[in-house]
Amino acid sequence: MIGERFRNIFGWVDVWTVLLYLAIVAAGALSILAATYKEDSLAPFALSHFYMKQLVWIGIAWVAALVVLLLDKRFIHMLAYPAYFAGLALLLAALLFGKEVNGAKAWFEFGSFRVQPAEFVKIATALALARVMSSYSFSISRSGDLFKVAAVICAPLFIIVLQNDTGSGIVLCSFLFVLYREGLNKWLCIPILLVAGLFISSFLLSPAVLLVALIVICTLSEAMMSGEWQSRMVYLAALALGSLLFFWTAHFIAPGAVSFYAALLTVTLLSFIGIAVYAYRANIRSVFLPVGLFVGAMIFLPTTDYIFDSVLRQHQRDRILSFLGIISDPRGIDYNVNQSKIAIGSGGWLGKGFLRGTQIKYGFVPERHTDFIFCTVGEEWGFVGAAAVLVLLCLLILRLMRMGEYQQEPFGRIYCYCVASILLFHVLVNVGMTIGMMPVMGIPLPFMSYGGSSLIAFTILLFIAVRLDASSRQFPLEKKSSL
Amino acid sequence: MNGPVDGFARMRLLQGVVIFIFALLVGRLAWLQLFDSRYEELAKANVLRHVVQYPSRGEVLDRNGEFLVQSRECYDLMVIYRELDKRGFDTARMCRILGLSVAKLNREIANARMRPRAPRLVSSYISKEDKLRFDECNFRGFYMVYRTVRRYPRKVGGNLLGFVSEVTSEYLKRHPYYQAGDYVGLTGVESAYETVMRGEKGVKIQEVDTHGEVKGSYLDGRYDSLPKPGRNLVSTIDTRLQLLGEELMHGKVGAAVAIEPSTGEILMMVSSPTYDPDELVGRGRGNNYMRMLRNKRRPLFNRAVKAKYPPGSTFKIVQGLIGLQEGVLRPSDLHACNMGYQAGRQRMACHAHSSPLDLRFAVATSCNAYFCYVFRDILDNPRYDGPKEGFDVWKEYVHSFGFGRKLGSDFLDEGHGYVPNREFYDRRYRRSWNSLTLLSLSIGQGELGCTPLQLANLAAIVANRGYYYIPHIVKQIEGRDSLDARFYQRHYTMVDPKHFEPIVEGMWRGVNVAGTSTDAYLEGWDVCGKTGTAQNPHGKDHSTFLSFAPRNNPRIAISVYVENGGFGASAALPIASLLEEFYLTDTIRRPELFERIKNMNIYYPYYDR
Repeated sequence: MIGERFRNIFGWVDVWTVLLYLAIVAAGALSILAATYKEDSLAPFALSHFYMKQLVWIGIAWVAALVVLLLDKRFIHMLAYPAYFAGLALLLAALLFGKEVNGAKAWFEFGSFRVQPAEFVKIATALALARVMSSYSFSISRSGDLFKVAAVICAPLFIIVLQNDTGSGIVLCSFLFVLYREGLNKWLCIPILLVAGLFISSFLLSPAVLLVALIVICTLSEAMMSGEWQSRMVYLAALALGSLLFFWTAHFIAPGAVSFYAALLTVTLLSFIGIAVYAYRANIRSVFLPVGLFVGAMIFLPTTDYIFDSVLRQHQRDRILSFLGIISDPRGIDYNVNQSKIAIGSGGWLGKGFLRGTQIKYGFVPERHTDFIFCTVGEEWGFVGAAAVLVLLCLLILRLMRMGEYQQEPFGRIYCYCVASILLFHVLVNVGMTIGMMPVMGIPLPFMSYGGSSLIAFTILLFIAVRLDASSRQFPLEKKSSL
Repeated sequence: MNGPVDGFARMRLLQGVVIFIFALLVGRLAWLQLFDSRYEELAKANVLRHVVQYPSRGEVLDRNGEFLVQSRECYDLMVIYRELDKRGFDTARMCRILGLSVAKLNREIANARMRPRAPRLVSSYISKEDKLRFDECNFRGFYMVYRTVRRYPRKVGGNLLGFVSEVTSEYLKRHPYYQAGDYVGLTGVESAYETVMRGEKGVKIQEVDTHGEVKGSYLDGRYDSLPKPGRNLVSTIDTRLQLLGEELMHGKVGAAVAIEPSTGEILMMVSSPTYDPDELVGRGRGNNYMRMLRNKRRPLFNRAVKAKYPPGSTFKIVQGLIGLQEGVLRPSDLHACNMGYQAGRQRMACHAHSSPLDLRFAVATSCNAYFCYVFRDILDNPRYDGPKEGFDVWKEYVHSFGFGRKLGSDFLDEGHGYVPNREFYDRRYRRSWNSLTLLSLSIGQGELGCTPLQLANLAAIVANRGYYYIPHIVKQIEGRDSLDARFYQRHYTMVDPKHFEPIVEGMWRGVNVAGTSTDAYLEGWDVCGKTGTAQNPHGKDHSTFLSFAPRNNPRIAISVYVENGGFGASAALPIASLLEEFYLTDTIRRPELFERIKNMNIYYPYYDR
């Protein structure tokens, strides 16, 4: 009976997803061929070439996809937590015993090839997140459950950042996308995004401006959540008045001892006592979320300078400063991005033709087969080709979201959204980086960049979603029967 | 949990977010690829390298079709570090073949290591023979690039022909046509006819990779162009005369210029000391150039067109002609000379000769006193309002003979010479001066400065009886019908041609009857000449001689100037005479004189200190 199910499962696989996947992988393989092809090579089919190696990886990835499709859905469900903890263990092991590549201690080396556990941890985290959020009695508006979710996301993120592989770590932040779909209060989403924006721009703004922005964002989002505008406005006005009074009084007694920033900060922190009393009396717990966000931000914001100066490596600092336009140096830091923009920009409408991209062929774009693979697409296939690749990726993401909506179980839906958000983040950051919209972060373009662990990890990530979807179609009533 | 309606709405919003993000990416892509045209240029700048194809420079022939300047093929040795034999190679052998030092070779190879795939110059000026021997050895990673350099088969006319040199950064700023590494003519004929001789550069567009390695030609050479070789020149120089002139001037400092009066063509132009032009080509160039710069006799200074010499007695010709034209002098006018000219306390000494004497005899015997009278009569002419006005008139005449200004020859660095003006004397004598004050001008001394070219031109003017063609060095440019129009115009002086005959008669008598120039006599050639002996603050008098021959239909006009040569007749005259003899008869019948003059070395304390 089980054997029959295995035989039949292929009949329920979503054909569109698989076709999109195959098209993108094919485009990636051709781009890698174009980026690394050598006209004068004596043995064009030797395994030492990147494009031949990638063919092998594609084969292995397809075997992995087949294996995933043959797994039982319940097994996947069951696997979520063990895989998650195993992933955390692997990350820790890499941090302690791994090999350092490009400044990130995030790799295991086996002979001639390397594996990056962070790639697979994304899958495990997505599974674990789906498992946590689909459990019975889970409610995202409950603080305790929200902290559980935060813990699941932040534990691997923390280790990956410690590995100095910030790019891969930030990918996990994209799960905010999933949380929003699952009902996270949108007035909490927006301040989180805004605070993230403040982090990035904290190099540009003075502490006083940051503080005022934080207070306004948190208070207003709280007002939107509770719907009580009047009292919140009064609170803001009282803060302003109180801190001004405090500032003037202090100025009168001891001129220059207290800055306006210090006055505002003191008054705001003191006001929390009042808020706590008020919230306790009126029994509104929701006030504590924005307050927590504010306190968290207040702890983290002053540390950005510390993180920036001590935790980030020189090249990462330069990339961020270069992206923000604080330093500009085309032959140095900006070199990669400039060359990448030149390669893509010189493509025009239809590109220079397959194997004819001069910038790619003659090595002006660094990392042209891995992180900057999109340059090859842009230069050789032009706007038409590059836009077509983007459309394929966009369709795949939309298809995954649609697939999620059709799932009968929350587990499947959450997992599909996790995959969609991971892919979206990767595409946005990677393509954005090649065309100068994003700072340079070393994360690959899904299914297209050269590299075995990335391709296999993305394939498994995608095909677990396909497997979940297939069983949901095969047994449309399973939800009812299982519950 | 949220209700299904809420979830659906949120899905729609998230779809919107996804589509918005992709729209952003596509929009930015469209901006980069379709609207911002900058990147196409930048991509080309990355990949394309424009390799200049140098044309061969025009060559120079003399008036008889003999090569003065040729282009010689030579090679630059290039290396590509990455392609070197990793096991090492026989550096000692290579250095032996090419005449390099091992240290220099190792240094260049170490430099090439910086960009291991890009070609780098190791050594220039490798001869064809060395190149052939080098090719037999097959050193990996090295190759030769074709170039041309100058070659001087007769080794004459260093300053006259000029030299070619790599452009300096200062020159580049003023002449945008050139690029670093180009060669340009800096002096003499090479600079005067630079635009004609340089030809047109071609270009080969190559594709290179990020390491500078050449990958092939751009679009199969569709935009490449071939270099156009420079035009050859036929010079007016007579190489044999030039050789003889340089031989005779050897050991003396000065200049000798010979002009064909009927055309203004420069037959010979010697600036002494001269140098072997081959010394300023090739690897030894830098050292030789510095050595010449340090030489106090200044071999790189073209005295023939730039030096300012007092003309001495040769200027009496001009004085007499002005007097005749102004009507203050008739050829038959007699003046007394009692071993000099006395006016008040001022005295101008003269040598012993019969007195009184007329103009013809005064020219022949070079009487100082006679021309003092003439000069004073010109300045004190009652027609003008005082000697200052008279001086202005005199100066106009002198200008019309080509003194005190550039003649307009094809030498770009031609000097003006110097003729003082009224303001100069006003300043010097605080406005109180008269004809007597300037008396030394009457015999070509004082402040006058003439270039040897101007003096030769004076000889040509007298030979032509009143006009000259601008002296020039180039007879014909390959592929062109004519030279600049200014070389075909007769330039008349302000003196009427009819006044020249008595002066010519005097110059003829000085050689053929009795006078200062009798040593210049050539049987049957009716040589006319005028000696000059110029006092100067540097020591012995300068010796100078003006001459043309024959008297009717002259074929050659010549001026020779020998610094500190003594009397005009002792150094300059025999040189000029031998040159005339050789030019007119193709032989030298006075071998003793030739030997004596050739071996005459003049001692120059202020040069050789």
